[in-house]
Amino acid sequence: MTRPLPFEDLLREFAPQVLGALVRRHGQFDACEDAVQEALLAAALRWPAEGVPDRPRSWLLTVAGRALVDAWRADSARRRREATAALVPADQASAADEDSACVDRLDLGGTDRDDTLGLLFLCCHPALSPPSQLALTLRAVGGLTTAEIAAAFLVPDATVAKRISRAKQRIRDAGARFELPAQPLPRDRLAVVMQVLYLMFNEGYTTSSGPSLQRPDLTAEAIRLTRLLYRLLPDEAEVAGLLALMLLTDARRAARADATGRIVPLAEQQRELWDGAAIAEGQTVLTRTLGTGAIGQYQVQAAIAALHDEAPDAQATDWPQILALYGVLTTVAPGPIVTLSRAVAVAHVHGPRAALALLGTMDTDERMTHTHRLEAVRAHLLEQAGDIVAARASYLRAARMTANLPEQRYLALRAAQLRHATRPPR
Amino acid sequence: MIMMFGGLGAATQDRSPEWVAGMHELMMKLDTELKESGECVASEALANPSQAKTVRFEGGAPMPTDGPFAEVKESLAGYWILEVDQDRALQIASQVVAYTEYPMEVRPIMDHSAQP
Repeated sequence: MTRPLPFEDLLREFAPQVLGALVRRHGQFDACEDAVQEALLAAALRWPAEGVPDRPRSWLLTVAGRALVDAWRADSARRRREATAALVPADQASAADEDSACVDRLDLGGTDRDDTLGLLFLCCHPALSPPSQLALTLRAVGGLTTAEIAAAFLVPDATVAKRISRAKQRIRDAGARFELPAQPLPRDRLAVVMQVLYLMFNEGYTTSSGPSLQRPDLTAEAIRLTRLLYRLLPDEAEVAGLLALMLLTDARRAARADATGRIVPLAEQQRELWDGAAIAEGQTVLTRTLGTGAIGQYQVQAAIAALHDEAPDAQATDWPQILALYGVLTTVAPGPIVTLSRAVAVAHVHGPRAALALLGTMDTDERMTHTHRLEAVRAHLLEQAGDIVAARASYLRAARMTANLPEQRYLALRAAQLRHATRPPR
Repeated sequence: MIMMFGGLGAATQDRSPEWVAGMHELMMKLDTELKESGECVASEALANPSQAKTVRFEGGAPMPTDGPFAEVKESLAGYWILEVDQDRALQIASQVVAYTEYPMEVRPIMDHSAQP
């Protein structure tokens, strides 16, 4: 149940294409989504025994189409009227013809890219909350099951199921129509799509405290979908920037936690554990992109990540260049987290006191009162500045404020290390 | 249920970093063992008591205030729900207390089955 099946990759690749094809033809995103889920389930049950069919995508389309029609038949007269326009093969022979005709008509080979983009845009409809956009994207475009999504977010299956069905309802109520995004591309919707993918990546990019067989690799999924988006929109600089950022960040994953699951900060990471291929790819995408379009937050963040990744060791990091990039980021996408990160760069270039002064300007920022991050950065800077007593107090304060266990343990440990530094010798 | 108490600093106030690291390792090791043996039904670490809010009945109405119900040093920090008999539960708790030198509580969870 937990081991990926050999054709699972196939199913996940075809799921959005099949869904897109059905929705484009029939509308009714929610009903089509249900039908596709049934088809995926049928495949998971039957393919191991019967073998993968010669044309798996049209198999899925046929089964999903039938499930859709069955659902309509069981429903009202209004739907029955619409159903007559749909494919309803009476016997197996005509099913095969209908099947291939259907495939030809829909020209899946040429239009699957458009369908996925339309699907992505639909799943990121502004009527939905970000968690709903995320869950729906993972399901409809990522092809993940409810159980897999639930495991990824550590919530019960029922929660995810409800979230997805409510999301589909909202899309229906909002009267959202599935259509190819108009040219020129709706920028605000594209921004939401990228935000959802970024959120997905960040959710996955957390230190896990132990192996979990059921947990799909969210970062891998985010990268996969962003790659897909990049393929669909090769001229969008920010999409390329987002892909590069994910690759360059995920490249460090193996070094982020030690064998016991403890957090290892960037400066202390074993760089030989970094994924060289991912770094190279990220750098290539970034270099190809910079200057081709308007500069945006993802490109800048990717450039910063690239500077970290290309330094052979922590001391060799080009902090002045990184600081300059944070200056750009502050104008392009200002926010407290950016200011915090910039403070860290300031410390490396101008010393911890200058950085602490910058943090001081954030003390009255309401957005920072509920996060431990300001305090955690302050603690590190105070430690660097040699103010050990204040640093320890800050570490403890930050540790009390976080809701993340590995983070809390890391901060508590740093506080303990300073406790002994301030002790008078016995 | 086995319960741990105390906010950050309560049980670990003067401890060395080696001790603190050792405690983290003990908790993680125990967690893994109990999950693998199947004895653990559920377990969670709670956020620090400073993140709690308590709803009291005051002035004739429910009134949320910042802070935990109990004193910080006696506030719940985390729990294990185990499918074990009391002796085994006490044995597990003793393992932790031997290291932390701080009290833990062991209490049965109520049974819901209808009694004739």
